[in-house]
Amino acid sequence: MMLINSVKTGLKKGFETTWMLAKIIIPVYFVVTFLKYTPIIDGIAVIFRPVMAIFNLPGEAAIILVLGNVLNLYAAIGAITAIELTSLEITTIAMMLSFSHSLLVETAVSKKLGISGLQVILIRIGLAVISGMIIGRIGALI
Amino acid sequence: MIEILKEATIGSIESVYSIAIIIIPIMLILQILKDYKILDKITGPFHFLAKLFKTSNETVLPLLVGIIFGLSYGAGVIIQSAKEGNLNKRDLFLITVFLATCHAVFEDTLLFVAVGANGYLLLGTRLVAAFVLTYILSRKLSLNNFKEETIDEVDQSI
Repeated sequence: MMLINSVKTGLKKGFETTWMLAKIIIPVYFVVTFLKYTPIIDGIAVIFRPVMAIFNLPGEAAIILVLGNVLNLYAAIGAITAIELTSLEITTIAMMLSFSHSLLVETAVSKKLGISGLQVILIRIGLAVISGMIIGRIGALI
Repeated sequence: MIEILKEATIGSIESVYSIAIIIIPIMLILQILKDYKILDKITGPFHFLAKLFKTSNETVLPLLVGIIFGLSYGAGVIIQSAKEGNLNKRDLFLITVFLATCHAVFEDTLLFVAVGANGYLLLGTRLVAAFVLTYILSRKLSLNNFKEETIDEVDQSI
């Protein structure tokens, strides 16, 4: 009897949580899909190209970072395989992206927890920039 | 245009489906473990996390789920715990900071290892950064920092 109740409560919580996340993820997913077909992503990448030198990365890496942050890690991985990079460059990009990725979806989810979206984004991009500079610079010395 | 709408519709349904097939079993198993008093034994060894950040012991479960499965799944468990009234605003803030910095450690790390990055360096840095950042914030923030918001909410509800 107790097991039946546990299963009922557990399933109810599971469906509730799925629904709650669906309400956040579906609208953001639509925005992200539309963004993918506009020149906005390429535009952002062009702006960030010159900044890549700070991380000891080639200008082309900007598109990978923008794809990972605006869309998701899978989009970024696709771009990594399409551009020729050294293993140090890949590690730098991977480090930056593991701190900061899928910002639209994940910030929407975090906001649900009562922390401001701006705070989450600043923390994540801040860590990405710091770690990128450290690995890019130190790695180049070794 | 119609193609894009179709892609967004199918894609978003797929991503909700992929969340559902993970979060529903997680919630089901957690409920059974909780009701049979097994959950406390599993989270027990990780109560040092709550001690370290001076948060309630209820923060341990959402932290573990988020670190292993990902931010959305962790958020699901956090919101369920918050509904049951066991988490205060400071707890919520600190776990969110930790999980925003470090989540889905297996999936995210292996993805990058697959394209040639150093996995140990990635995982190690992410864990250390999350611990250090959350620890510093936990020492700077007391529940009083969050009181104003709580009062506002009470006012609104009245």
